Amino acid sequence: MSVRNFGSLFMVASCAGAALGCYLVSLRVASERAALEDVETKIVLAQRDMRTIQTEIGTRARLSQLERWNAKVLALSAPQADQFLKGSFELARLTRPQQKVDFGAPVVLASAPAPERHAAPIGQAETDDAGVPAAVDPRELMHEASLKTDTGTREVPSKPAATAPVGAVGFKSTEKPVTAAKPAPKKAVDKPGLAAAHQTKTVDKRVLAEAQPVTRPVRLAKADPLAPLADRQSLKSVSKTSKDMHTGR
Amino acid sequence: MNAPSPALVAPRPERLRLVGQRRQILAIMHQRLMFGMLVYAGVIAIIVLRILWLAAFGDHAGRKEGLTQLIPDRGDIVDRDGEPLARTIDAWTIAIHPTKVIGDKLALAQKLAQLMPEHTADQYFAMLRSGKPFFYLRRRASPALVEAVNALGEPGLAIQREPDRLYPQTSLAAHVLGFTDIDGHGAEGVELAFDKYLSDPATRGQPLALSISSKIQQALEHELGDAMSEFSAIGAAGVVMDVHTGEVLAMTSLPGLNPNAPGQATPEQHFNRATLGVFELGSTFKPFTVAMAMDSGVIKSVGQVYNCPHELHVYGHVVHDTHPFGRACTVSEIMMESSNIGTAQIADQVGTQRQKAFLKKMGFLDRVEIELKERGRALNPGSRWGPFETMTIGFGQGIAVAPLQLAMGYATLFDNGVYHPPTILKRGPNNPLPPGRRIFSEETSEKMRALLRLVVMKGTGKKADAPGYRIGGKTGTAQKLINGHYSQTINITSFAGVFPMDDPRYVIVVMLDEPKATKDTFGFTTAGWNVAPVVSRTVSRIAPMLGVTPDLNREPNMGEVLPFVHETKE
Repeated sequence: MSVRNFGSLFMVASCAGAALGCYLVSLRVASERAALEDVETKIVLAQRDMRTIQTEIGTRARLSQLERWNAKVLALSAPQADQFLKGSFELARLTRPQQKVDFGAPVVLASAPAPERHAAPIGQAETDDAGVPAAVDPRELMHEASLKTDTGTREVPSKPAATAPVGAVGFKSTEKPVTAAKPAPKKAVDKPGLAAAHQTKTVDKRVLAEAQPVTRPVRLAKADPLAPLADRQSLKSVSKTSKDMHTGR
Repeated sequence: MNAPSPALVAPRPERLRLVGQRRQILAIMHQRLMFGMLVYAGVIAIIVLRILWLAAFGDHAGRKEGLTQLIPDRGDIVDRDGEPLARTIDAWTIAIHPTKVIGDKLALAQKLAQLMPEHTADQYFAMLRSGKPFFYLRRRASPALVEAVNALGEPGLAIQREPDRLYPQTSLAAHVLGFTDIDGHGAEGVELAFDKYLSDPATRGQPLALSISSKIQQALEHELGDAMSEFSAIGAAGVVMDVHTGEVLAMTSLPGLNPNAPGQATPEQHFNRATLGVFELGSTFKPFTVAMAMDSGVIKSVGQVYNCPHELHVYGHVVHDTHPFGRACTVSEIMMESSNIGTAQIADQVGTQRQKAFLKKMGFLDRVEIELKERGRALNPGSRWGPFETMTIGFGQGIAVAPLQLAMGYATLFDNGVYHPPTILKRGPNNPLPPGRRIFSEETSEKMRALLRLVVMKGTGKKADAPGYRIGGKTGTAQKLINGHYSQTINITSFAGVFPMDDPRYVIVVMLDEPKATKDTFGFTTAGWNVAPVVSRTVSRIAPMLGVTPDLNREPNMGEVLPFVHETKE
């Protein structure tokens, strides 16, 4: 009985609830829409401000004004025909390699061969071990050096690689097998030390000390016919052993 | 209750009638009540439904109308790169309602005269006492002034924002743009021609893109203005046009005006010399005559020889040359030295009928074809067009055209002989390139290249050359018609050039009205001395912007013409 009496009440309540729910949804939608409109309005206002500012900047920087400034201050003129380049090759043609080596390095080198020549007898002993010229005239050496540049073009890059780290590697710890390229010169220093007599070390040190300021330049080899030659030969012979040593490690 | 039951007492007939009536009345009342209820229910239902509808789909109370999209009161005008040339801004306007002024009118008038000195205190006082309801005091007032006026605190002063047309580049392309009147409607130029587009709410949101390029316009205006002041010319005009599309990249007429204050300009400044003015442009017409002759088979080769005496006596008149040959000369030489005598003979061979037909096809006998309303009608001899007139038209006297028309003619000649109507709007989806009509053959167009390049390399237009840009063109010095007579001293000089000549892309036409001789021109007032350098300077400025790279090693095929030039003369 009671249920039947309350039936209509439930109906009303559920209808009201549903209506309220619907209304809440629509309210939510309306508020979202209002927020969106606010944002849109803000965007439009911002656009209007931007437009105003752009107009002002454009008016202040009008072309006739720029032209006036150019006539009074900048005095820029139209480019000439030869100021235009067709591509990167023409651009590259304009540049020349800078002669930067003027900071004293060649001077040191120029004087470097002189003590070397004095040390030549000791150096010859070295080269003896390396196996090429036992007692050769310096003239012949010079000749051979020029021959080398002719035949072995591949040698050229390897040469600086060999000479360059000489100074550095001497101090660097030997337990660093950094790259495949680096260990080779390292051994180039080490090897004569191992294979040849120990007395050469004194000579080596002097040579090293003198060569140290000149870290990189290729000229070391050209200007100095003796030491680099020995170096290169040692490098050649060592390049094989270095691999062995690597594997040994 | 007290109603007797029908079974006991027979009702009286009147009473019976009464019962029947009452029933009827009741029924009617029920009906009316029901009807009333239905009406109320309907109204309430409508209201409820409406509320529900509004709740579900309607706008809320705080909605701001019209701010969801930025549509200016009048459409923008931009150049081909989107650079604004005309915009509508909100400007401050100061006005006064004299009837609403409550303070001391004399003191107010004095203060106003201090702030806005364009009127005296007396005039302001007269305004205030006039009893008229409204005066504009200042339009487009500066914010500082608005602040000062507002600080007067007079309720009769009205300070409001009004849409106002602003031309950010001031006088740049003023004749192309035109300006608007006080009501915001176009009065000249593009503003007038496209007034409907610019003011229609449906279209004005989208800016109107012109074919003008503001940088090129600036270069042309500046160089032309320099030449105009250097040679004390009374006017100048210039046009730069794309050969292939007919787009006008720059068009200027000097003296110019500032469209922000059009009222201050003189009628002379308002006059658009490039489209409205028609001028006898002289020798710049000669290439057309030669092209007509080539097309109709009169000239078979640029080496064809004509007799060029010191003066030519024909049809009762005498034709003179500025650089007389006094010998036989080739077509190449005639063009190079701009020989009237030679060209007159060529024109004579072409004949009046053919010349008329060609000029008609090229649009030289009608109004110039462009969207602007300021269009001049070309002048020609009309019914007096006889054989001698044919000759004079052949070298550019006796026919007056607008500089834009001349540019159009050169564009036609070097766009492989195909005519495209010039346009001030950027070519694009809204303004597609219409199919052109052929006027000259492709072969003629090719041959003319070397011929006009020769004029600049070796002929009268040497000063127009800009190294590397392969300019070709023709100078034109025409005597000005003053009071019905051709003046011997007053000229109109023009130069029509095309570059790069090995693959023509742009036409440039410049004109100076009444240039004077200077020390640097050694007393000459011919086109080679005054307008040709303008072309050289302008082209070396604009060509890189137009994507024409200078190349000192490229030239059109000069081997076609050089063998026919007699070099010993120099």
